[in-house]
Amino acid sequence: MTAFLRSLSAIGLGLIYAFLLLPLVAVVGASLTAGEMMRLPPQGLSLKWFGRFLGSETFREALALSLQVAGTTVLVVVTVATLAALCHRALTRRLGAAFRVAMLLPLLLPELLTAIGLLFFLNHLGLGKTLPGLQIGHVVIAFPFAFLAIVAALEQVDPALEEASASLGASGFETFRRVVLPLVKSGMLTGGLFAFIVSFDMFTISLLLKPIGGNTLPLALFDFLTYDFDPTAAAAATLSVIFAFCGVVLIERLVGLRRAF
Amino acid sequence: MKTRLLLGLPAVALLLLFFVLPYVEMVAMSFRAPASGLPFGEGHTLLHYQRALGDTLYLGALGRSLLMGGVVTLLCLLLSFPLALHLSRTQGRWHVVFFACIVSPLLIGVLVRNFGWMLLLTVDGPANRWLLAAGLIERPLRVLFTPGLVVLALVHVFTPFMVLPIATALRNISPALREASTSLGAGRFETFWRVTLPLAFPGVQAGVVLVFVLSVAAYVTPALLGGQGVALMPAIVVRELIGSFAWPFGAALAVVMAVATLSVVAVFTLLTQGLAERTRA
Repeated sequence: MTAFLRSLSAIGLGLIYAFLLLPLVAVVGASLTAGEMMRLPPQGLSLKWFGRFLGSETFREALALSLQVAGTTVLVVVTVATLAALCHRALTRRLGAAFRVAMLLPLLLPELLTAIGLLFFLNHLGLGKTLPGLQIGHVVIAFPFAFLAIVAALEQVDPALEEASASLGASGFETFRRVVLPLVKSGMLTGGLFAFIVSFDMFTISLLLKPIGGNTLPLALFDFLTYDFDPTAAAAATLSVIFAFCGVVLIERLVGLRRAF
Repeated sequence: MKTRLLLGLPAVALLLLFFVLPYVEMVAMSFRAPASGLPFGEGHTLLHYQRALGDTLYLGALGRSLLMGGVVTLLCLLLSFPLALHLSRTQGRWHVVFFACIVSPLLIGVLVRNFGWMLLLTVDGPANRWLLAAGLIERPLRVLFTPGLVVLALVHVFTPFMVLPIATALRNISPALREASTSLGAGRFETFWRVTLPLAFPGVQAGVVLVFVLSVAAYVTPALLGGQGVALMPAIVVRELIGSFAWPFGAALAVVMAVATLSVVAVFTLLTQGLAERTRA
């Protein structure tokens, strides 16, 4: 009886994991086809649709904009989130918990509502439909992800190390640069990776805040899926899967997945 | 110590300026007068709320969105609890592998994951061909652009958001408690029902609230996989904002949606407060 139940639950779990992973396998599979149709399983293997993807001007421009916005987002978000994480560490337990929830708000509230508020507010500031406006939206949404990763990394640093450094005569900044920074570098890298991936995949914010004439890759992909349907779309989507896969492997190497989430 | 607190200023300024103020602006916008040719006009009015709350079109869409959010949340919970339990009971290398399986979809855009379902479930897709070959169906199922597919895809998108808080709660349960329960004569099922489940409840509560809030306001998945048939609230809001440029009315609809969502969350939290407090005692 227990053996029967155990195998039943193993099958159930297997089905749930398959449910989680199948769509990703489908996207990668469809992008590798040598045929002309978007079909699964792929008809022969080739990388030609990646060539078509890079050959398409629409996709190339969208990819360039997405990479530029994601790159800027990483720089801003990692700087601000590292400072905020250091502040969080200095707070008492109760205050720290409240500060943490406040910092995570953009992640806890729907992206659509934040996008609508920003649409009005940026217009008010004269930044409506501009690149800086889009950039601000990406920074706000990506910020909590970097903050979480860096706070998790800082929690691993023993406060005694900082006390020792201070009692040996180092200034606050010196202690940060020579003791804390080397220890949280991996956390900052993880935070940066999160911010990059979140920004690269962001849809709703970009839809409402995109500059006139500019499309990010997810927006271009959405238009393509609504009007055309060939494996170029799968190639574009596979890029996102590859980034995520590299991200997971890197994060596991740097700090361990468990700690980052 | 003081100087360290100052380090939080840039983040606080960022969120106050570009997160809190935009929400304030959204509420303010919902009271603005409409104008022709411009997104909004001068003066203030309550007209938009009258229109939003007086029309069955909008109330129906709101009801459907809340219902769909509830269904998605429930299904996510049903899938996530076994996953979280399994995760909390595996160790070492396998633990990392399973954990990666659950969090890696989180790092892939919603659009890409929805697209995967499109590929699998099209009329001549692998799912239909397999079911036809197995003789389970006579003609291909047309699931694309149906509400069922939207629910399926949303469950897929939000499952990791439910697994993570539950897994954290389960991990914080001391194994000694389970052992104590067993040694006092409780069976495995009884231990699960009376020890593990109540102690994991704060995680369940957090996951349920998070998934419900996010799924009611989900825009991309219904837009891509839902077709034109049934209108949900987020699609109507976006149409008002970027289709007809009626910003004040769009803002009013967004505020109505947010208030309705928060009311459901508040009722849920109050109803389950007793359960949550029992675990704290």
